[in-house]
Parts: sequence; structure tokens; C-alpha cells
Amino acid sequence: MTNLPSNTTEANLVGEEPIAVERSTAPSTTLAPVDWIKQNLFSNVRNSIITLIVGALAAIAIYSGVRWIIGADFEIVRVNLRNFMIGQFPRDELWRPWASGLIIATTLGLVSGALAHNAYDTAQQMGVPAHRDSYPQLVRRFWPLIAVMIFFVSFARTVLPYIGLASVFVVVLLFREIGWRLPASFRSRVVYVGAILAVLSMLVIAGTSNLGGLAMGIIAAIWMASEVGRMTPLPGMAGTLRTFGLSALAFVVAYFVVALIPFDGFGWEDWGGIHISLFTMVIGITLGMPFGILLAIGRRSNLPVIKTASTIFIEFVRGVPLISLLLFSNLMLRNFFPLSFEIPADLTMAIIVITGFSAAYIAEIVRGGLQAVPKGQTEAAQASGMSPGKVQRLIVLPQALRAVIPAMVGQFISLFKDTSLLSIIGITEFLRVTDVANAQPAFSGKQLAPVTYLFVAIGYWAFAYTMSRESRRLETKLGIGVR
Amino acid sequence: MLAALAVAAVLTVIYVFGRLVYDGFQLAASRRRDKGDTDLPPLWRDVQGIGIAAQIIFLIGLIVLIRYLWGNFTARVDSVGQDLSFDFLDQPSGITIADNPLNPNNPVSDAIVAGFGNTIRVILLGIPLALILGTLVGIARLSTNWLLRKLATGYVEFLRNIPVLVVIVFVWSGFLNGLPRSQEALKPLGGWFILSNNRFAFPSIKGDGNVGTYQLILLAALVVAAAVWWWRTRVFDSTGQPHRRVLWSVGTFLLIAVVAYFALDGPIATSKPMLDDRGRVFSDGIRMVMPFAALVTALVLYTGTHISEIVRGSIQAVHQGQVEAGNALALSAFQRYRFVVLPQAMRIAFPPLINQFLNFTKNSSLAIAIGYPEGTSVINNLFGQSQPSSQLILILMLFYLTFSLIISAIGNLINRRLQIVGR
Repeated sequence: MTNLPSNTTEANLVGEEPIAVERSTAPSTTLAPVDWIKQNLFSNVRNSIITLIVGALAAIAIYSGVRWIIGADFEIVRVNLRNFMIGQFPRDELWRPWASGLIIATTLGLVSGALAHNAYDTAQQMGVPAHRDSYPQLVRRFWPLIAVMIFFVSFARTVLPYIGLASVFVVVLLFREIGWRLPASFRSRVVYVGAILAVLSMLVIAGTSNLGGLAMGIIAAIWMASEVGRMTPLPGMAGTLRTFGLSALAFVVAYFVVALIPFDGFGWEDWGGIHISLFTMVIGITLGMPFGILLAIGRRSNLPVIKTASTIFIEFVRGVPLISLLLFSNLMLRNFFPLSFEIPADLTMAIIVITGFSAAYIAEIVRGGLQAVPKGQTEAAQASGMSPGKVQRLIVLPQALRAVIPAMVGQFISLFKDTSLLSIIGITEFLRVTDVANAQPAFSGKQLAPVTYLFVAIGYWAFAYTMSRESRRLETKLGIGVR
Repeated sequence: MLAALAVAAVLTVIYVFGRLVYDGFQLAASRRRDKGDTDLPPLWRDVQGIGIAAQIIFLIGLIVLIRYLWGNFTARVDSVGQDLSFDFLDQPSGITIADNPLNPNNPVSDAIVAGFGNTIRVILLGIPLALILGTLVGIARLSTNWLLRKLATGYVEFLRNIPVLVVIVFVWSGFLNGLPRSQEALKPLGGWFILSNNRFAFPSIKGDGNVGTYQLILLAALVVAAAVWWWRTRVFDSTGQPHRRVLWSVGTFLLIAVVAYFALDGPIATSKPMLDDRGRVFSDGIRMVMPFAALVTALVLYTGTHISEIVRGSIQAVHQGQVEAGNALALSAFQRYRFVVLPQAMRIAFPPLINQFLNFTKNSSLAIAIGYPEGTSVINNLFGQSQPSSQLILILMLFYLTFSLIISAIGNLINRRLQIVGR
């Protein structure tokens, strides 16, 4: 809503070299415990008083919190663990979520391994000391997520989830190793492979459909376009024709391969639990990104009509609470479909609205990045005879997007947290499972709501906190905010 | 109202369209005048020409899209016989609102106004509290005391990373299950506070017959205090003596207030909250329903974490050299903070703080999950009384939009005055 310059971000966006900055740390001084306590807790009278008062209050709070947790009955979580994870997904089809999870683990391992190696190579070429994260370092980076996954599984009543989680960890590490060892030519294409695997992980659950074919086709087309970009350029119209022709071909082939394979699955009316929360976040960001970038460019355009339209959309969406948009999706959006059209599921409507919502927020982030690209860059590009489209695509956007990666991760986090609002319009996502569980005859009236809310809070926290740590790490790594 | 909006929209579109076409002709005409100048690009390769054409195409596309969606909308609405007028606002609402004399026979508009009144109540109480909490925690995170720093960090890193809705329902369920029923209400501090899972009550002040006069005197005292402030500033400017204007003006105000209090024979007294023996009826003091207390507590706790990050970041962003320069001028620690660090930190903190106030306002709509009847919740209840949803959603969005626009307009205004001129 604000036209206020958010100083902190902008200050952070001042263009810096893409160097993995090794911050020099002060030589660590180890103190004897007694000296440490003296220095950090009782250095003077005021400090001692603060320590005593705060320490007493904290001790009381922690004591009563721990006593409550120990006394709490977590049976309700144990019974509903599957509901929390996947909602009402058919119980005799559990191999699908597990297979999907393993594919995602493969993707994460492969992509992170390959990208880590790419970053390592870049750093070495620039003469910056580079290192590869060892396993203990990886554990330290992702401890909240690992700890919470183990915490989740510890509620399981069968042995299967333990095996499943262990194999997920093994698969991630194995494919990280493979990704690291792949040849450079493959590593530079790993993002596309990752995207295809990500779509596959959804198809395993949802079955093949036109939608899946469309997603696969778009990825194939973009991949093909980038492949053509690596070939020797053809002069003039022929180059454009070749790019478009081959991309279209790739799209058609990928679309029909997916759409024509008969493989049934379960649409998202049957999904639930944290699976829906994560899915909605990923889909909201993926769909919101292109619209957001367009809106950002539109808002900075000097064509008044396009600028006004973009500004009105962005300010409107950012000015109203998400819940009012979700109520709109639930009660009003159906009216905008033609009479002959079958009204889609609630989640589909919500995803439409969430896409617009995240597009508006992404637009403001990207706009910050665009503003941070020095004007000289545009002018230099124009001076070398680039068309306006090329200036944006090849010069301005790459720099702008790189600068806003941490802010974008921040948007991932807040969208992930915002998916909890889906519970209000009756979609059985992670938070709403608590209502389902507390309404069960075995647990109703036992006042177990706080217990379930605590469990859910820890689940959200693990994902969001891990992402925010990674975003801070990226910020240091990209040298943003280091002055 | 709808008709007026539609006319305005159509007129705007016609104006924009006419303007674009006019610009196009102007451009074409200027090109024709310059005919023969071979350096000029053809019209379709002219940046201005492309711009005008693109806008015309965009506008036509937008109009077609809106027309199509509106057509679908009216067709759907007609097929279920829904009324699109705003007449329902005068119909009985069919709902009741906690702590509000409205009954189900009062019109819908009254219920909506009462709901938004409650929203504003949440904001007016919550934002100052969140600001205080956030500032304290933000400073605590920079403390040299290890324990205080770590506790503040733990609080921020935990609460900042869980959804505000989860915080709200968690606090609410904690109050609901953790506090006794009002029959066995907790009465800490000698009964000056009453806590139950139904209602909270706090002490307040009440006035007797003379309170009107007393308020007038206080108002006059405020004016006198302002005059004293101005006078001390003048003294400082002309003689350079310490102004001590805070001390002077607050002292003046308190002096008048105390003298008038005794002169009027105690026009105000504290009002202790009461609960009858059966634990049903609360009276005196400030009373609030539990969901209100839960909502404000949760929003303050959650927004406090974000504000503390802003406060911490802004203080850290003030250049170290500034502090050192303050030291070199032999300023005391307080003076250094008050005159060097804080004014600069405030300038950095202000824009993101306004964003947090906006977020607070928008997040207050989540009261819908715990049933506190603020704007969104009331409108949700009206859906349940089969009031027309389209118009209600429009009203809901317009309210928050207006509110956001007002807050950010005020914010922009203050921000402009805060920023250093000439940079």
C-alpha cells in the first residue's frame, strides 16, 4: 500500500559484486566460565539486576511451559498424525505421497548438489576462498527442519514413517552427492531437470491430466529456448523462427507425452494437511512470479494507461486483508464463470486469488530491485542498440532479480504462513486439521485444542525458520547489505 | 451508488480512450509535417507510436475482459434471483453483537458500523502496545546482558515464524482453557483485576458531577503547558540557558491538575471492577470480552516481533561514526541516544513501521477465527443470515482499502517531514 521507500531493503539493494564474501571474524577468545558469567551477566549493578529479574521471570515461564507440555496428552496428535500430514487422502493409496516425497527429496538433493558445485566453481574462478559444506555443516544449516521431521515421525504408531523418513534423508544426501559429481554441462541444466521432477512429484499424486501436460509443456518450452540460446546464433528472422519453432515443438511433445499417458490419481479435493499448505505456497509463488514481474514492469512503465492499471491492481490487493480476498474467492468468484462452466473446487478458486495476491506482493519486491539497477545500465544497453524488450530481459531483470532473492524468500515465508488462512474458508490444510481432530468423539470436550495448536505452530515454525535462515545466508553470500 | 460508480467508470474510460486516439493523431500529424525527413522512423517503429498503440490494445482488451466477466456475473446472479441493490442495509440484521445494545431487529448498516467500530477499538489499543513491546524487545536484543539478549532473540525468532492466525487461536484457546470460569474468576492484586475465560476487567476512572468542569480545566492546563513550552524554547533561543521545557511544561500541567483536583473536591475517582456473587454480572472498571483480550494480546505479541526487528535494524543502521562523534563531543550516554542515534534511527524505522501498522490493521480481520465481532467477523455472520454476499464483500474491501489509504497517506506525510531535506 505504501509508496514509502522501504529504506532497509533499498539500502540493501545497492549493487554489489556477486562474490561469496568471507566475513572476517574476530579471533575467538575463550573465557573461563566464571569470567564469562561475570562479563556477560553481572558486569555492573544494572546488569546484575536485569539478570536476576529476567532470569527469575524466564525460569517461571519456562518451568510452567515445560510442566504443561509434560502433562499434556499428545494422544490426539498420535491418532491424527496422518491427518496432519495429508488430510483425508485415501488411506490405501499412501504410496503416492511417499513416492512424491521421495521424488521431491531427489530433486532437492540433485539441484542443491549441482548448484552448490556451480557456486563453488564461480567462487574459485573469482579467486575467492570456497568450500563445500560438510555434512555437519548441512545439519547445522537445516537443523530446525530435520529436528521437526524427526519430531513429527516420533508420533507415528507404525514403523513405516521411520523407514520413510530415513530413506528421504538418504535420498537427499545421495542425490546431493550425485548432483555434485555431475559434469558441468549437466549441472548448468539442472534447474530444468529439477522443475520436471517437481511436476512429476505432483503427477504421482494427482495423476496425469491436461493441467500436468501444460505445466510440463511450459517447462519443456523454456528449456528448449535456453538450449537454442546456447547454439550458434542464426542471423535475423531465422534465429527467432528457430527459437519459437523448437520451443513450440518441445511444448507439444511434452504436453502429449504427459496428457496421453493414462494414469489416474486424486485431485486436490482429496488432499489435506501440511501437504496442501506446502503445495499452495509453491503454486502461489510459481504462478505469481511471472505476473508479479509483469506488474512491476508495468508499474514502472511510462505509458500512463498501463502504469495506472498496474498500480491500481497492486495497491488494491495490498490494501485489503487476505481473508477478504479468500471470502471473495469462496463466495463471489464462482459468479464470474460463465453459466455453462462447471464451478471449480474451493481450493482452485483460492489458488486463483492467492496467485493474484502473491503477484501484487512480488511486484513490489521486484520494483524495489528494478529501482536499484543503476540507470546507466539501461542507458548503456540502449546505446548499444537493444530493443526495449531486450533491455529489460537481458540487462535489467537479471540484475534486479538477483538483488531481490532474499526479499523473495521472505515472501515465500509469509505466503507459507498465510496458507493457514485457508482454514477459515473450510479447506482442510494443516491448521484446520486441529478442528477436525478436536471434533472427533474420542477427543471432543477434552480441551486439547492448545496441544494441537502447539504441534501445528512447531510445524509451521520449522519450515519458516529454516527458510528465513537460508535467506539470511543468501544475503551474506550474494553480498547484499554488506557495505 | 452503483449507477454513479458505473457512470464515472465509463466516463473515465471514454476520456482515456479519446485522449489516446487524440495523441495518436497528433503524432501522425507531426510525422506528416516532417515528411521527407528520411531520418524519421516509420510510425510503427516509432517508440511513441508503439506506446500509444500498445495502450489502446491493452485498454480494449481490459474492457472486453471486464465486460465478459460482468456479463457472466449478472447472468449467474439473475439465475439465482439475487438482488444487487444496497436496500438490504436497511433490513433487520438478524445478528447480535457482544457488548453492544444492537438487537437482531436493528438494520444491517448499524451492525456493520458497530463491527468496524470494534476494529478501530482493536487498532487503537493494539498498535501503541505493539509499538511499546517492539521497542523494548528491539533494545533488549542489543543489550549487553547475555540472558536478556538471548531471551529476546528466542521470543522474536519463534513468534515471527509462525502464522499470526496460529498465534491468535493459540492465545485464545489458552485463555479459554487455562483461565477459570467467571464463577471462580481470578482476582489478582486485591481484586483490582478480574480474569476469567469469559471476560477480563481492569480498573479505570470515573467522574462525579464536577467532571465536566475538571475536563475543561485540564484542557486549559494543556494550553498553558504548551505556552510554557514555547516560552522556555524562546528563553533557550535568546539566552542559551538550558530550556528544560519537558520538566517545565509537565510540571505546570501537573500543578494545575492537582490544585484543581482538590479545589473541585475530587471530581474523579478510581473505578474498581466488580463481579456479583453468582459470577455472572460484571460492573464498573473497563470490561472486555475474552476474544477481544485474546485478539489484542496475540496481535501485539506477533506484531511486536516485527517491530522489534525494525527497531533493532534501525539502531544498528545508524553509522558507528555518529556514536563516536557524539563521544568526541563529550555527550552523555543519554544525550548520545536522545540527540544522535534516535533521531536518525527513527528516520530509518518510520516507513517499515507504517507497514507494520497496516499489517496490524489487516491482521485484525482474523478475529473471524475466534468470534470477536469486528468488521470482518460481523460481515461473516451476516453471510450466515443469508444477506447478499457480493455487496457485503465490496463493503468489507472498501473499508480496509480506505483505512489503508488513510494510514499510508498520513505515513507519507510524516515521512516527508522526517526525511532530511536536500538529499
